[in-house]
Amino acid sequence: MSSTRGRWYQSGAKVVNQRARCAVALALILGGSAGCQDGQLPPGAFVVALASEPQSLDPRFGTDANSARLADLLHVGLTRPDMAARRVPELAASWEFVNATTVVFRLRSQFHFADGRPVTAADVQATYAAVLDPALASPKRMSLAMISRIEAPDPATVVMRLREPFAPFLDATGLGILPADRAHEPGEVAVGAGPFRLLSATRGERLVLAPNPGYPGGPPHLDPLVVRIVPDEVVRTLELYRGGVHLTEDSPQPEMLDWLGSRPDLTVERTPGTSFDYLALNLRDPRLADRRVREAIAASLDRESLLRFVLGGAGRPASGLLAPEHWAYAPARVPRHDPKRARRLLDRAGYRDPDGPGPLPRFRLVYKTSTQPGARRLAETIQAELATVGIALDVRTYEWGTLYADVRSGNFQVCALAWVGVGDPDLYYLAFDSTMQPPAGYNRGGYANPVMDRLTRRGRQLLDPAGRRAVYARVQRRAAHDLPVVPLWWEDRLVVHTRRLRGFEPAPDGNLRSLATTWME
Amino acid sequence: MPRRALRRLVLIIPTLLGVASLVFAFLHLVPGDPVEIMLGESAAPADVAALRHDLGLDRPLPAQYARFLARAARGDLGQSIAFRAPVAEVIADRYPATLELAGTAFLLALALAVPLGVVAAARAGSMLDRLTRLGSLAGVCLPSFWLGPLLILAFSIGLGWLPVSGRGGLAHLVLPAVTLALGMVGVLVRLVRASMLVALGEDYVRTARAKGAPGWRVVGGHALRNALMPVTTVAGLQAGALLAGAIITETIFAWPGLGRLIVEAISARDYPLVQGCVLAIGVSYVGVNLVTDLVYHAIDPRLRDAE
Repeated sequence: MSSTRGRWYQSGAKVVNQRARCAVALALILGGSAGCQDGQLPPGAFVVALASEPQSLDPRFGTDANSARLADLLHVGLTRPDMAARRVPELAASWEFVNATTVVFRLRSQFHFADGRPVTAADVQATYAAVLDPALASPKRMSLAMISRIEAPDPATVVMRLREPFAPFLDATGLGILPADRAHEPGEVAVGAGPFRLLSATRGERLVLAPNPGYPGGPPHLDPLVVRIVPDEVVRTLELYRGGVHLTEDSPQPEMLDWLGSRPDLTVERTPGTSFDYLALNLRDPRLADRRVREAIAASLDRESLLRFVLGGAGRPASGLLAPEHWAYAPARVPRHDPKRARRLLDRAGYRDPDGPGPLPRFRLVYKTSTQPGARRLAETIQAELATVGIALDVRTYEWGTLYADVRSGNFQVCALAWVGVGDPDLYYLAFDSTMQPPAGYNRGGYANPVMDRLTRRGRQLLDPAGRRAVYARVQRRAAHDLPVVPLWWEDRLVVHTRRLRGFEPAPDGNLRSLATTWME
Repeated sequence: MPRRALRRLVLIIPTLLGVASLVFAFLHLVPGDPVEIMLGESAAPADVAALRHDLGLDRPLPAQYARFLARAARGDLGQSIAFRAPVAEVIADRYPATLELAGTAFLLALALAVPLGVVAAARAGSMLDRLTRLGSLAGVCLPSFWLGPLLILAFSIGLGWLPVSGRGGLAHLVLPAVTLALGMVGVLVRLVRASMLVALGEDYVRTARAKGAPGWRVVGGHALRNALMPVTTVAGLQAGALLAGAIITETIFAWPGLGRLIVEAISARDYPLVQGCVLAIGVSYVGVNLVTDLVYHAIDPRLRDAE
């Protein structure tokens, strides 16, 4: 076991040992845990509730949404995304493409790790080299695969050389930086230069963070910041109501939001989000390979009603992957609810209704989804809407690991999925290029169009932002026409927090960076 | 008695071997690849292959199984794929929470069920008996996913006496322990009552009464001891189930126990962790069975004499 992991777990282990003693006492004498006070929240703590535990606090390993949220608080990257998903300076004060394959980053000198050491180019070099080291088995290795060499000519300069011109490269520069002497450790390293530092972590229960005194512009005001894992949605809501939790971003159900919003001590903030919900279609199925059938499916859905029913209206009907706030967004056609047209399209495609308004469908499809209540609710409403145009959906629910394996292997016809926190528009290449079918990429439906291939490949080579925007405008229009997936909506971000919290700004991608600058009245 | 305990301990080995074999087989039948879940969809095939090799997942299943058993025999449960930490360490982090909750719920259930069952049997047909039976029926019928939030609404939100969720001092323990215990109380009350009614109708009870023994002594000293034998069996089974982790209760009350850990491990297809958790549960069950056997001996001297 590495020293880091040892340190990470030590705090937890101490707690565990004390709890084990308490548990033994409990087993002997009822009420024995009366003296077991180590689990109490520190006084004055600001408590954030998350639905699930972050997979890792180490920026080299964490890939889930909550790991990213915590990484934003504990670590700094060279760049970070702004509201329009553009990369803006963070540790890097500026950067320059010296040529198509060489980028020079100038670092700020104000950032310090939680142990007081300044962050230098050597730390950046070591962290990137560690992620690129196959021995570490970092899930982020492929996102940096375009880097051929990293140099640190002086403590404030990092030079990255790319294998070939690669426009989305900056999207990979958000990687949290670790101290150089620990970057290659195989275990968890949670020491960063972010606004907070990790005080203790108790697996499955809570993380306690304290302000990083060396953070530029002064340490955050929230001291300590406690991140609690509260898996049950109703209980998260009740914790907010009771004051045991001060902020949650894992959106409660619409009916609960109304109830929480009526509380005088709570605020419900809603901001346009970048998460894109869609129906994935398997184009290997001959019926779904027909664009008229896909268009008929899109036209049979009343997105406004679905949104109201499934999300309480907390979203906007989507035209494609990129939300209107995104720098590369271009208006494209949003599928209009038109059941008559849907029926005509299906007739033209050769799928006539065998008994008119009778119970027999034109054809049946299997709709796979997860066991989450929201996913089931969406499945049932889509099933009802498609039934009106004569398409019968057999809804089958699966545990997430099984569903994911089926989606990856192309063993599905229809399923509802989402892209969370869409960054660079190069996602269009990964999702729709004909060569990006699993296991190479995300083109799970097997969509193939030479025009789309040409455009998405051009988009990742162009370094000029205006040129890229023009290319991706065409990509978005092409996707809206071909409908390789049926767009549903962009989900709003919903944050519920105590009114005593000041200065909090919800982010479209759900990050919690704003906690570094907020305070409690 | 020591010989019997030793025999029980020796039986742990084939029991755990059977449990481990079944879990290994079932886990590998379920679709889903831990490496793909770990590395994500965009991982290079070469990286997937390399990590699969590092984790030994590219070996034939019998070889993986033999490797797992060989390591387990040395006390090495392997490395958790999702947590990137030794499985034993991850389980050791969570097990005390389960022990704390299960132990409290079990003691609470016994403390409520035995007196209630005894009183109901001693006053069979009375209003108290009817109320006890009705209450026990409710305890059995109320699912924890409904009862838990209801208790939170009443005692945390309504009265403000107790915290909503989380693990901390005694106050945090009350609601999850009560939620777990009430179901068990329902089962045990009915069992204690039924066993007591049988025992109270026995000849030795009539004899004790005829000899003028006080009522409390007849019930507590003569009938209860005999009535406790079937109750001990069921209570032992219930205790084992509690130690296996109360997934729903742990989820509702944000209790960081073994039940939630298993669900997380299954979702991530974290084979070593699932196997480790199941082994830990298997050991718990065997331990509870051993204690149950010892309790039998303590209650019934005929078993001691038979040995």
